[in-house]
Amino acid sequence: MLIVDDHPSFRRLATRLLLEAGFAVVGEAADGEGAMREAERLRPDVVLLDVVLPDGSGLAVARELALLREAPRVVLISSRGRSDFGDSFAWPPGCSFLPKHELTAVSLRDALQRP
Amino acid sequence: MTATRRLRAAAFALAALTLALWVMDVVRQLQLGIADSGLASYGVAGVAAVVVAVAVARQPGGERMALVIAVWLCASALDDLTVDWPVSRSATTAWMLARGLAPSAYALMVLAYPSGRLRRRGERLLVAFAVVVGLVWMGAPLLFFRPGACSTCAPRVSSWLYTGTTFDYLPVGQASWSAFIALGLVFVVLLVRRLHAAPPGARVTLLPLGLAVFFAAAEFIAQRVVWLGGWQSPVAALDWIDRANALLLPLAIFVGLAAIRRRRGALGDLVVELGRAGPGQVQPALARAVGDATLELALWIPDREEFVDEAGKRIDTNAIPPGRALTAIGPPAKPLAALIHDERLLGQRTLLEAAGSAARLALENTRLQAELRAQLAELRDSRARIVEVADAERRRLERDLHDGAQQRLLALGLALQLLRERSADPELLGQAEAELQTALRELRDLARGIHPTILSEQGLGPAVRSLADRAAIPITVEAGEERYPAAIETAAYFVVAEALNNIAKHAAARSAAVTVDRRNGRLQVGISDDGCGGAVATAGGGLQGLADRVAAVGGSLTVASEPGAGTTLQVELPCGS
Repeated sequence: MLIVDDHPSFRRLATRLLLEAGFAVVGEAADGEGAMREAERLRPDVVLLDVVLPDGSGLAVARELALLREAPRVVLISSRGRSDFGDSFAWPPGCSFLPKHELTAVSLRDALQRP
Repeated sequence: MTATRRLRAAAFALAALTLALWVMDVVRQLQLGIADSGLASYGVAGVAAVVVAVAVARQPGGERMALVIAVWLCASALDDLTVDWPVSRSATTAWMLARGLAPSAYALMVLAYPSGRLRRRGERLLVAFAVVVGLVWMGAPLLFFRPGACSTCAPRVSSWLYTGTTFDYLPVGQASWSAFIALGLVFVVLLVRRLHAAPPGARVTLLPLGLAVFFAAAEFIAQRVVWLGGWQSPVAALDWIDRANALLLPLAIFVGLAAIRRRRGALGDLVVELGRAGPGQVQPALARAVGDATLELALWIPDREEFVDEAGKRIDTNAIPPGRALTAIGPPAKPLAALIHDERLLGQRTLLEAAGSAARLALENTRLQAELRAQLAELRDSRARIVEVADAERRRLERDLHDGAQQRLLALGLALQLLRERSADPELLGQAEAELQTALRELRDLARGIHPTILSEQGLGPAVRSLADRAAIPITVEAGEERYPAAIETAAYFVVAEALNNIAKHAAARSAAVTVDRRNGRLQVGISDDGCGGAVATAGGGLQGLADRVAAVGGSLTVASEPGAGTTLQVELPCGS
């Protein structure tokens, strides 16, 4: 698993939490560019991706990731809630969404099990 | 007695004397049985001319002209007084000299029309020469004319100057006629020049008199030529023309003065017209009033210290083309405006100044309106800027909350989850996590209230739907995905948010509906509910705040809220294109 978020403390704690919960967190990235680089290098199965990144939208990164060979499963995370995006929000296909305040090992596992 | 009243009194006195002379002459001719058919026409013409003189004298500023007319009338009445009068030597002398002045009085009257003054040197010289020639012309008979030579001719008593000798004064007479013919030609030239130099609008007031004079001059010259040539046959015809002339002149003066009155009336009309004039209508009204279609209005802009036309284009007053002239309106040091007009109008300074005075009020008005409009526009712009700055500030605040406190709380949430594995007191940890979730939710609500991300990222439609989703009652939303300028979207969003808030708090409604669409180039937002109605905008109240916010971006808000019939808010906003 690769964790992409621009807040170091959130990234560090999320890594620790997910490692302890049995997820194999293999890398971290702070922005879209780093995310693509690490994803190509590490070939993770899952990318935990913040919707808002300092160098652009996480949604664009999600669409790029989907184009990779052996594309990873993307779970978009955000500090905003679902209703902040609205019903008609154009989520990239194949992505799940998880608000950051709901992020636990259990909810992540649930999200990954949803088709 | 003022100078004006003295002039008027003199004119009246001369007119009365003229009338008396006419009456006496007619009576005398009837007595002697020498009255011919021309007498009636002479009489009518004379009376008409006297009436004109009186009418002119009664007009403000017309006294001097009236006196000049009366002088001519009196001189010509004396000139026509040809029948036998047994009078004294002094009366004979005065009468003969007055006869000699008739042609110069005629020239004076025509050239001094309509002000009563001779303004040009050439005109004064001509009148002076005519006086000299007239005195020489009559001087000869005064010296040598033998009284009683003709039984029906005046005078029967010799003049003071009578020498007692006989002398053939025909050569003096012929020389005088020749001089008169020359002067007549100069007179015509002066008149034509004056007509030519007259400003466009004033020509019509000079034309009738000009035509009458032209006719009279032609008749005068023809008569002298016939007299010099000693031909007899055309004399009768010329006499008739002479009589027609005596009628023509008063008529011409009447018509000319009527034209002048109309022009003065045009100034009166101007005042009325300017009172109603909108922007761009002052110049045509002024052009009509002074009779110069080419007139341009230059407005003085104090800030820029230059003249501009009504469209705001700069006018270079140092580059006025030849034949044009500038007349300032208002104090010369601080002009309000200027008229750029036909140079020939300068001869009618009074008219220009009167038109300027009439225009002054309207111009002052126009300028004040323009200033007010500029201030309003400035106010509108600054209000829009304030709203824009406030909106930007809200977006920044929202981002700061999101990037700062919220991220730290989220990290704290992860730390609490990690602690859960290690903690001796899971209950306390649960409490901490619950507190944290509440804090996060409140923070999200606060950030959303400050500025909703969904609005800037996805636009008005999705933002309004997300508002509706969080409402306590069912709300139908009809809104597209179209984007509008940020300030407009923000204003519309907050109107909907505040309206839905009001519905939840006060309306006791079962449902509500929000519509967002673009019509006639304006963004139309409607919010209606089926609640209790009776909403009013009070100062400092929510509705007034909404109206202010909408107005700040150039929109309008109307509220229909009959008690018991629900409330409908209709907002109209400009949408850029």
